[in-house]
Amino acid sequence: MSFIEVKQISKTFRVAKKKSGLKESIKSFFKREMIEVKAVEDISFSIEKGEIVGYIGPNGAGKSTTIKILSGILLPDSGECKVDSMTPRKNRVKYVKKIGVVFGQRSQLWWDIPAEDTFDLLKDMYEIPEEEYIATKKDLIEKLNLQDIINIPVRQLSLGQRMRCEIAASLLHNPELLFLDEPTIGLDAVSKQVVRDFIKKLNKEKKTTVILTSHDMADITSLAKRVILIGKGHVLYDGSLKKLQNQYETEKYVSIKTNDKLDIRKKGIKQKTKTKEGYDFIIDSKEISISELLNIISKKIKIDDIEIDHEDIDSIIVKLYEDYKI
Amino acid sequence: MKIYFESLAMHLKGELEYRVNFILSFLSQILVFFTYYFIILALFTKFDHIKGFTLYEVLLCFSIIQFGFSFNEVFARGIDHFDNLIIRGEFDRLLLRPRNIILQVLCSDSDFVKSSRLIQAIIVLIIALCHLSIEWSLLRVLTLLLMLVSSCAIFFGIFLAAAAYCFFTVQGLEVRNVFTDGGKHMAQYPIGIFKKGFVWFFIFVIPYAFVNYYPLLYFIGKKETIYYAFSPLLVGLFLIPCILLFYWGMKRYTSVGS
Repeated sequence: MSFIEVKQISKTFRVAKKKSGLKESIKSFFKREMIEVKAVEDISFSIEKGEIVGYIGPNGAGKSTTIKILSGILLPDSGECKVDSMTPRKNRVKYVKKIGVVFGQRSQLWWDIPAEDTFDLLKDMYEIPEEEYIATKKDLIEKLNLQDIINIPVRQLSLGQRMRCEIAASLLHNPELLFLDEPTIGLDAVSKQVVRDFIKKLNKEKKTTVILTSHDMADITSLAKRVILIGKGHVLYDGSLKKLQNQYETEKYVSIKTNDKLDIRKKGIKQKTKTKEGYDFIIDSKEISISELLNIISKKIKIDDIEIDHEDIDSIIVKLYEDYKI
Repeated sequence: MKIYFESLAMHLKGELEYRVNFILSFLSQILVFFTYYFIILALFTKFDHIKGFTLYEVLLCFSIIQFGFSFNEVFARGIDHFDNLIIRGEFDRLLLRPRNIILQVLCSDSDFVKSSRLIQAIIVLIIALCHLSIEWSLLRVLTLLLMLVSSCAIFFGIFLAAAAYCFFTVQGLEVRNVFTDGGKHMAQYPIGIFKKGFVWFFIFVIPYAFVNYYPLLYFIGKKETIYYAFSPLLVGLFLIPCILLFYWGMKRYTSVGS
């Protein structure tokens, strides 16, 4: 049995239907139309220990709901999920000692006091033995570079500094499973990199299983080998990121530096533009491979330099969402 | 219990960060409290007694209710303001921590500004006790303590029941103020002075009568029935459905979006 087993979980919320305007608000005060929103439906997957899984999908797809069910905040309406043979909400106290959760948009640190005080409180909450606590804290301070910020009231920290403290706070009890719900939201490039490097290291050294959601595809590509794509509450894709990329990454960009004039017409070349130093091509790699193209060109002219680029992951995701109509 | 005191210390630390605000709020709370006190004093310049209760007997009654209410405002602020936890989504976090939920809710907030009311309630209590001629005995001391404890317990129960309601509506409800503030204002006076219907309500629905009426009768020597001295213990029964209601509501919890 896998470390995490999710079997056909569904969760429906009842939401009051609201129309805009004061009149409608007053109307709905007396009589409320309730609509049922299926947040997740029939979701199944399993995750092995030590994996990093990227959980992606557009806003409102059901990512957070799944994480909330897995972490025991919500009870599913049907289906079951087991983590390390435990049912999250049933064995709540025992279970939550094994998991760490970082919500990028919500803070668990106390706003008006330094992060270190929160850490101390968490130590008692989780009943972490003194020695283990000191060692873990020291390790986290070092790896996340917290020396200078841990004694400043949290409200005075920058977002990046705060996020590093948030992550440290979620890991003080050495969880086996870490949920990261948009951990890099609103961070600058350097902070993002620090967070990513840290997660990578954590997974490598402690074999922590990580489930990561993010809208920043760079997070996913740099961390996760496997992705689960979810849309409108259903699992649409579950597999390696590479495969997904290959499947969708058909357009390639080739630019050539040359002084010669080139005349070329071939199936698969979608666009050819003359630039100052040579030519830019956009090709469909299903029709023509890069080597084929270069082969043809090199026979005709002398190539000074070439540059090959492929579509970035964000545009792949846009395509993917379009394909699945989510 | 250690975590509770630690979080109390942290809240205090946080509140003291805003020094001026703390001092001003503390003073304004003293004024608010004084108006309550003043109303009773004003009443007794017109009348010598209300249905046989003298000024200091009423003040005793008043201070005990105020004590319990303020005690909860200071030390159980998290339950009083439970709707905040739900709306801001912080309740999610509590579910992720390996501790009893009600304990964690207690840890989540406290309001030391309100301790000014608590102190004043104690002062009024002492004033009232000094002016009453009470035949002190061990049992009477015990009765007084039971009254104070049950006063804290009854408001805890009401707050908890109101908190449970938040699981269903997300937002806190004003209706609960009928039971807390409204009830508090009525229970400041010996309940025996009210009409029968109210008395029944305060016995069987929200048992204020066992907090500061029946034990009061024993305490000031109006009744010698020994049961009256121990009647505050019945408030414990009131707590049971309140706690169950809270846990039942928790099962229906549906978080808020992120």
